[in-house]
Amino acid sequence: MSNQKKRNFQIEAFKHRVVVDPKYADKTWQILERAIHQIYNQDASGLSFEELYRNAYNMVLHKFGEKLYTGFIVTMTAHLKEKSKLIEAAQGGSFLEELNKKWNEHNKALEMIRDILMYMDRTYIESTKKTHVHPMGLSLWRDNVVHFTKIHTRLLNTLLDLVQKERTGEVIDRGLMRNVIKMFMDLGESVYQEDFEKPFLDASSEFYKVESQEFIESCDCGDYLKKAEKRLTEEIDRVGHYLDPKSEEKITSVVEKEMIANHMQRLVHMDNSGLVYMLLHDKYEDLGRMYNLFRRVTNGLLTVRDVMTSHLREMGKQLVTDPEKSKDPVEFVQRLLDERDKYDKVISTAFGNDKTFQNALNSSFEYFINLNARSPEFISLFVDDKLRKGIKGIVDVDVEVILDKVMMLFRYLQEKDVFEKYYKQHLAKRLLSGKTVSDDAERSLIVKLKTECGYQFTSKLEGMFTDMKTSEDTMRGFYGSHPELSEGPTLIVQVLTTGSWPTQPAVPCNLPAEVSVLCEKFRSYYLGTHTGRRLTWQTNMGTADIKAVFGKGQKHELNVSTFQMCVLMLFNNADRLSYKEIEQATEIPASDLKRCLQSLACVKGKNVIKKEPMSKDIGEEDSFYVNEKFTSKFYKVKIGTVVAQKETEPEKQETRQRVEEDRKPQIEAAIVRIMKSRKILDHNNIIAEVTKQLQPRFLANPTEIKKRIEALIERDFLERDSTDRKLYRYLA
Amino acid sequence: MDRIDHLFKHYANRSSSHLIDPEGIEELCSNLEVPHTDVRILMLAWKMKAEKQGYFTLEEWRRALKAMRADTISKLKKALPELEKEVRRPSNFADFYVYAFRYCLTEEKQKSIDIETICQLLDIVLGSTFRAQVDYFVDYLKIQNDYKVINMDQWLGFYRFCNEISFPDMSNYNPELAWPLILDNFFEWMREKQA
Repeated sequence: MSNQKKRNFQIEAFKHRVVVDPKYADKTWQILERAIHQIYNQDASGLSFEELYRNAYNMVLHKFGEKLYTGFIVTMTAHLKEKSKLIEAAQGGSFLEELNKKWNEHNKALEMIRDILMYMDRTYIESTKKTHVHPMGLSLWRDNVVHFTKIHTRLLNTLLDLVQKERTGEVIDRGLMRNVIKMFMDLGESVYQEDFEKPFLDASSEFYKVESQEFIESCDCGDYLKKAEKRLTEEIDRVGHYLDPKSEEKITSVVEKEMIANHMQRLVHMDNSGLVYMLLHDKYEDLGRMYNLFRRVTNGLLTVRDVMTSHLREMGKQLVTDPEKSKDPVEFVQRLLDERDKYDKVISTAFGNDKTFQNALNSSFEYFINLNARSPEFISLFVDDKLRKGIKGIVDVDVEVILDKVMMLFRYLQEKDVFEKYYKQHLAKRLLSGKTVSDDAERSLIVKLKTECGYQFTSKLEGMFTDMKTSEDTMRGFYGSHPELSEGPTLIVQVLTTGSWPTQPAVPCNLPAEVSVLCEKFRSYYLGTHTGRRLTWQTNMGTADIKAVFGKGQKHELNVSTFQMCVLMLFNNADRLSYKEIEQATEIPASDLKRCLQSLACVKGKNVIKKEPMSKDIGEEDSFYVNEKFTSKFYKVKIGTVVAQKETEPEKQETRQRVEEDRKPQIEAAIVRIMKSRKILDHNNIIAEVTKQLQPRFLANPTEIKKRIEALIERDFLERDSTDRKLYRYLA
Repeated sequence: MDRIDHLFKHYANRSSSHLIDPEGIEELCSNLEVPHTDVRILMLAWKMKAEKQGYFTLEEWRRALKAMRADTISKLKKALPELEKEVRRPSNFADFYVYAFRYCLTEEKQKSIDIETICQLLDIVLGSTFRAQVDYFVDYLKIQNDYKVINMDQWLGFYRFCNEISFPDMSNYNPELAWPLILDNFFEWMREKQA
């Protein structure tokens, strides 16, 4: 359209609104009508914008706005009807192209028409509140083209068909798709949703329903998840290319539902490829994928977590209740640490360190570790093993790491007081036999226990270290004041404060003369400087290093227990001794003596003594003599029996009994503490509060608590309420 | 009053003329024609608020006989059924039950009674009202090893048990509540027998 120059510059004077001759309106309208035709026929070049604008302006001015508006609608409608026939006539692939082309044309035309009718848009339409030109143009398109019955369904099906094709791997014209779908969006959100989005989602749902069924029948879990992930990515990509961004969430929901949510259980439980398989074989990538996919659906992660938890519990239960595995305590604990490391790695690598999974891991471990009543003992033995020998070739820092991991297991224990008992015993043995590899490591562990359990847990343990140190000083003082003794056998004494060390009954034993003389000298020295104390020799805990010369002149240094020393020294004065003679001379109790003789006579490679008869067990009629033929490739031979070992049945019973006894006053103290502050409390609440208070140390048994309550009632600390039997009252 | 005192003197021993001793009580029982292990003697002691088992003081004697309006043996004998009715009244029986236990604490600072005595006491005190419970519980007490003596709390617990728990089904018994442990154990033992 060219902009023709006006010949005269005229300013129209403001005139009264006079109703002009209707013929004038008709004429003016005709001009405009013709223009619209031309615009639609792509023949607008000869038109003068200014002239048309003015015509429209005049019509509105002279109160013919309605005629103009109506005319515009009628004309445009007629054109659109024509266009739709053309579109409908298009065959196959060109249908969409034709539609797109006509849409573009319409938009251009509409713009021009809107510009021409601008004055009407701003005045007549404003005041009458009718639909503006542009939106009206879109509505007309919608009603006459898109919703034209012959086009409507066909359009939709065409689009859905293309999507389907793309999903099956064909390449489609994405640009065309984008344009057509944008057309929907431009026509209004409800048009987009009703005429495209909703059917699209329904069709997609159907598609994925079928596809997921196919996949699940033919794929293993890992492959299925890969496919699901791929489809998800594809759909997001599709939205980015030719759909409304708001559709992303909706289509991904469809995929998530059909491919994941509907098959969740089956996937997770799949034999030989599901979650358990992945966990067992460290399939981090697959697990990560499962995590990312399942977190998108309701209860997805819950499902994964539940299956993982029950697997862990089952696996753990089997581990701890398998008698084979309990044979070697160190192996037992190492296995637990390994499993924990494994699952920790899974959670950090594949599950993004998800806290809920961490919690599931912890609760599972807590569950099964306590299924084996010997777990506390075994953990202590594991620590003993590490602190005693150290770990070959491992630096201090790594020892810290191992101790930290052990502390994690420790936290799972319900019976921490049982651990404490064993730990004390084993620590005592380590300290006394001088077998602890690293003082720093020992102290470090004690600090960790103190942080975890409080000062009381470790105060006695620290007393043990103090005693060791003090004893060193005492020994220096002793030899310092008795220089003449430096010639004879060297005595090393550790003086143990009774309260700090695990109690051991003193066992009678006749020490050889050389030794007992020394011991007496020490005793008088010590009591001379520490009045008011009493010393008791713990002969069942000592060791001795003896130099021995055998038949062919073989010289060895034997590291033995005190009992063994007493027995061996007898052979300095006799070649052959009967069991009874040995028993009489040493006064060592029978069970200890038998064990002692067994270790001297019946262990291959350490049998410095020979026994007649050569049976496995020590009999009271047996006789003993030195094994002159004894050989060992080492100069120093260790025969001592003081290494911490897994307890025998009777020892275990005894320890357990002592633990139970120790618990009684603790329970009573807790009851009294609680009742003192509450004054009155009912039965169920006392049980709950007491259990809670004692939980850091052990799991209190409700029956045991009841017993203690009754004991306290009898001792007049508490009474039952006279009217309500469920209540207890504190008696000041 | 005189006649009551006179009656007292009759039974009071020569050596301890201010007390009726066990021998005297035995004589009293035979005169009343009541066996001396009969619950009514215990009830009489209760009425007297007698403090020491096997002995009645003058004050205690006066207390009971005055209240019962008896100043002769035959009047006392006739008053016994009335006494029994009085004791068995719910408002009094609980008090009597507690009294029966205390009465058997013969040593100073004694708080518990041996199993054998308890068994007899249960029979005397509760035998007529809770025959089945007493029989089963006594059976249990004799075979269990957890307790060699019974204290007041457990004694009272059993009375509540008889009053509140349906027997022998014990369907409303809950061992997780505040019942004394010995009753929990009794409950378990009964369940095992019934299985």
